[in-house]
Amino acid sequence: MTRDHLEFLSWLAGARLLRLGTLAAIVFAGAALALVSTPARAVPSFARQTGLACEACHTIPPELTPFGRRFRLNAYTLTTRPPLVSDIDDHKRNTVWLTDLPGMSILLQATYDHWNRPLPDSLVPGAKSQSDDFQFPQQMSIMYAGAISDHFGAWLQMTYLQNTGSLGIDNNDVRYSDHTANNDWVWGVTLNNNPSFQDVWNTGEAYGIPYFPVQSLYSATQPLGNTGMRAPIFTQFPGLAAGLGAYVWYKDSIYLELSEYHSAKSGSAIANEDSSNLNVGGGTIDNFAPYWRAAYERDWGYNSAMIGTSGMYVKFVPSVFAGQTLSPGNVNRYLDLSVDWQYQYNGQHNIFTFLGHYTHENQENDPGLVPTYFNNSTDHLNQLQVTGEYYYDHRYGGLVSFRRATGTTDVPFNGGSGSPANQFEVFELDYLPWFNTKLLLQYDVYNVVNNNQNPFFLAGSTNPKASDNNTWVVGLWMDF
Amino acid sequence: MRKLAVHSLMVAAIALAATIVRDSPAADLVVPHDPSALDATMLVSNACSKCHGPTGISASPLFPILAAQQVAYIQTELKLFRERGRSDPRARAFMWGIARGLSDDQIDGVAQYFSSQPPATGAVSSNPALAEKGKSIFENGVPAREIPGCTICHGPNAEGIAAFPRLAGQHRDYLAIQLQQFRSQMRESEIMQPIAKNLTDDEIAAVVEYVASK
Repeated sequence: MTRDHLEFLSWLAGARLLRLGTLAAIVFAGAALALVSTPARAVPSFARQTGLACEACHTIPPELTPFGRRFRLNAYTLTTRPPLVSDIDDHKRNTVWLTDLPGMSILLQATYDHWNRPLPDSLVPGAKSQSDDFQFPQQMSIMYAGAISDHFGAWLQMTYLQNTGSLGIDNNDVRYSDHTANNDWVWGVTLNNNPSFQDVWNTGEAYGIPYFPVQSLYSATQPLGNTGMRAPIFTQFPGLAAGLGAYVWYKDSIYLELSEYHSAKSGSAIANEDSSNLNVGGGTIDNFAPYWRAAYERDWGYNSAMIGTSGMYVKFVPSVFAGQTLSPGNVNRYLDLSVDWQYQYNGQHNIFTFLGHYTHENQENDPGLVPTYFNNSTDHLNQLQVTGEYYYDHRYGGLVSFRRATGTTDVPFNGGSGSPANQFEVFELDYLPWFNTKLLLQYDVYNVVNNNQNPFFLAGSTNPKASDNNTWVVGLWMDF
Repeated sequence: MRKLAVHSLMVAAIALAATIVRDSPAADLVVPHDPSALDATMLVSNACSKCHGPTGISASPLFPILAAQQVAYIQTELKLFRERGRSDPRARAFMWGIARGLSDDQIDGVAQYFSSQPPATGAVSSNPALAEKGKSIFENGVPAREIPGCTICHGPNAEGIAAFPRLAGQHRDYLAIQLQQFRSQMRESEIMQPIAKNLTDDEIAAVVEYVASK
């Protein structure tokens, strides 16, 4: 039974990807939806609510253990605190249930970044060219995370980002869940604002590597911080869409989800924590975009393994071509299909994780936009990310991550050479004196960056290279 | 238009799902608004089973198997967790929180539930020679160093006796870590600390190999 499921899912994922060649198009109109995807984090308010130590739910925050996944799929409702206010009706159903302790948490990140080459003066008029910045905070969030009632829970996060100087809505997720008495079936409904934020395996964008992205003060215009580079469209809507989804979790092993996302505001992005989105985040999801997800998890001994697939189909009305008049009928169609995997060894002292994803994107460009804005009627993008982590005693450790994107050359769309290709690695060493405090040293290495997204090229630096963007980061991450 | 209708239907279906399942009684809390409203089965379903398994057979050796465990032992330990009288690292991390709001009645119910579940079948030993050595220690102890055998308290088949826990079929790593923690006095026990302090690593490996395979 177990092996059959695994083989079926593998086959399904493979078959879907093979069929892609014949599937039509998609788009990227968002020439630069340079969104900053903020990392997910451990939340002390969950610990206060449950009385459990962080290690119950996290290998190393924010990565979830099998128990952490179940906590989330059960809508954050597990609590060991009595309610302050509660009432029930004649059928013993709760009519109100309020905690005595609001699930508030503060999350704080501070960083010192040093990149390989001083940024040119021309990039920031009036600024002296420097090769570093020091941010306290890089970002700070205040959030409610916890149970709202016996079946409802929420993660509602507001974040201040120094690189944009703005405070706004970050990742939000309100979910309902229930289960059969024997726990064979858990089902739920999630209302969230970021495709893949609701996922529990850390292989997507919203909860994925890098857990601690560099958010350079210049990240809105350049690849520093791993932003600004071409990525699949499903990663491009943090805080910019609203989605309603339903999921089932069967026998602690099979997860199925179907969601529908709609642009928060037609014709423009809403203000999320990164106000730069307002400048570049043009484009609207046309009607609803379906997002689906299937995963199979097997836990044995200290091990947990998952293989899964996900996808999103987006009809996208681009509006990013400043000064251009587009017909509302110009619709580009994207289909993202991913396979992802995770292996966790969560032992008494040693923790290993190996995880990653491969995404293929088909982008069918509206004929009315070809060849002015796109060379091709169809563009492709392939993204691969592979990450390995090791930690000892939840205290020392690190990770190595590799991400590579390749795709169809399209000069008007991608600018520069027309290639959407990018490639970088993240090397990180972590020390956690306490579970909710992480000190880190990170080195980001850029191998391939399109000139059109390379600030050193854009600012006219001589002999600009991808490696100019290589960045050292000293970081502090606290939550309490 | 047709596509819009399809999408709208999907959204409506998702929303409907919420209202359908809403009819189930309040149950998702370890500490309910009214403690008597939550029976042991619900408690197990909502909390215990997430780590220990629905029938008390856990997948990960981080969490002990509770199926067929002695009622008195589960009661004793849960009360120790509640009063923070047991302070080994996993007890602190997991059970201090989980047990903090449990009533005596709930503890009794949970203990009855797990003790009435069919026991786990022991893992087949991959090292029969080691298990044989462990059997000798289990039955006879190490007389030369005044280490008593285990059977007098844990029973001839490691099935446990009252407040002395069942050990048979338990995760090998879990057993080894408990013995190590008794030895280092990280886990409290007036009985087990003096016994474990004289055990060598090899002896611990042997005895848990045997017990886990029973």
